Amino acid sequence: MVISPAFRARFSEAALAYCLLLPSLVFLAAFTYWPIVRSIYFSFHDVMLGSDKIFFLGLENYERLWTDKLFWKSLGNTVFYTLITIPCAIACALLLAVALDSKLRGMTFYRSAFFYPVMIPSVAAGMVWVFLYAPGYGPINSALAALGLPKVEWLYDARWALPAIMFMSIWKYSGYFMLILLAALQLVPRDLYEAAKLDGVSAWHRLIHITIPLISPTLYFVVIIGLLHSYQIFDYVYVMTQGGPADATNVLTFYIYQNGFQYQDIGYASTLANILLLFVGGLIGLIALVFGRRVHYLGH
Amino acid sequence: MATLQDPIEMAAPAFSGPRWRSLRKVIRANGLHALLLPLMLLWISPLVWIVVTSLKSRTEVFDPNAGFLPAVLNFSNYPAALAVAPFGTYMLNSILATGGILLGELITITLAAYAFARLNFPGKNILFTLFLLQIMFPIYATFITNFLTVRELGLVNSLPALVVPFIASGYGTFMLRQAFRQVPTELADAARLDGCGHFGILWHVYLPLVKPTLIAFSIIAVVTHWNDYMWPLLVTNSEQVRTLPIGLGLLAKSDSGADWTRLMAATVVVVSPLLLFFVVFQRRFVDSFMHAGLK
Repeated sequence: MVISPAFRARFSEAALAYCLLLPSLVFLAAFTYWPIVRSIYFSFHDVMLGSDKIFFLGLENYERLWTDKLFWKSLGNTVFYTLITIPCAIACALLLAVALDSKLRGMTFYRSAFFYPVMIPSVAAGMVWVFLYAPGYGPINSALAALGLPKVEWLYDARWALPAIMFMSIWKYSGYFMLILLAALQLVPRDLYEAAKLDGVSAWHRLIHITIPLISPTLYFVVIIGLLHSYQIFDYVYVMTQGGPADATNVLTFYIYQNGFQYQDIGYASTLANILLLFVGGLIGLIALVFGRRVHYLGH
Repeated sequence: MATLQDPIEMAAPAFSGPRWRSLRKVIRANGLHALLLPLMLLWISPLVWIVVTSLKSRTEVFDPNAGFLPAVLNFSNYPAALAVAPFGTYMLNSILATGGILLGELITITLAAYAFARLNFPGKNILFTLFLLQIMFPIYATFITNFLTVRELGLVNSLPALVVPFIASGYGTFMLRQAFRQVPTELADAARLDGCGHFGILWHVYLPLVKPTLIAFSIIAVVTHWNDYMWPLLVTNSEQVRTLPIGLGLLAKSDSGADWTRLMAATVVVVSPLLLFFVVFQRRFVDSFMHAGLK
């Protein structure tokens, strides 16, 4: 059998490619895909942290979800947090980006002032906001008192704890989204605005009918980033409230941690982790389905 | 800061004069400042609060009659904060862990991105999808089983444990592949004629040309992993391997709000390295996050 040189070249190119991919694939397999496979396997079993014994449970872990009130509460909190925080942060970011997309004095300073929270570790941010929200001596309550408004217990009040964390998250991420949107805005042709202005189109309508459609691919991208960043709420809950008061801030990531590390129930924690993946994956899929085709690609 | 006071100075003569048209002009020109200035103050107030509190005395924090600024600048909180916990060790660990992740990532993504950008092989699309899907599965969703893996490898409470889950980066590979594809193939062909192999071309042609992308990726990677909290929290349990954010969290826990001045001084220590870098290399940072998006 004769091997043609062309085949040999193709073969050696493929062999080289696999060698180049190997380092990445090893780590991807070990720390991204194997954990997911394992977590699906564990969800059908009784697995305890620190024990080698594994018992088959069938669907018991999933049945347990139905009657686990805390699971539904943490899922509800996660949904509430995600569906309010991301749109608010993006709206805020869009407002800032549009305002800063001009030759404004002090533009660099403004941009840095809105962006710096991204640089701060989540634990430091969470801690500072615990201080800011402190019921007695905290500056936010002092400011409320100065305005003659009633004081709020914030992180100690079941009604206000989650909104307080959400407000902090908006502060932390808006600047990030703002920068990405700012990059997109700079690509929008100026003459479009000029033409619309000459036709007497108001600033609001210019935003709705020109700016937003033209930067929609970036908006779509920002929504996805926002979703992925919402996982980070674990850090805030861990630092600020430990899920309290009365589980008002218990979210799925934190509930997984509680089950896995505090109750040592790896099987159930894995089940919850699968639900979390389904939730975020489903949301991303839904967004791709609804908005993916509608986004307007500039020049494509 | 001088520019921020300009609107007021500029508005003053317009208010006093009867020239309404110029007043409208001033409002239009400075309306944005009227919107942005209060928001900006709201945004920077936590940072101002951190710094101001770190210079106060303990009693001032809880005294409702004390002013916003400290009566006397009290720098003693800084040595006090540095004395209660081994921040030097934390800092070293943060540098080693972040550096290790960055180095590992740069190697894996360079090799993989070259394969995806310039080589043909069966299964390319499937493998590329597998790489991209990693973005959807962050450590926050896989930490339970990842913890077990790391424990089985005997890595718990060691620096490699902080590094290994982040060595492969689907997004980094994607970013760099896009950049490699922008490089004209003629350049690579010319290098090949000069006797360069694949690695020579990668090193001498591709990498120098995609430097901006490499820098952007590195900045985002450093910011992300320098600030990592959840994973280091789970896999470290001794001072020798803890990082800055974990050390800060521990200090907060042990203080439980009793000594905000010391805690805020520690916070300044923890947040300042990145903020300083940000101030110095502002344009680079902003460009990276603007055009590279997520990690």
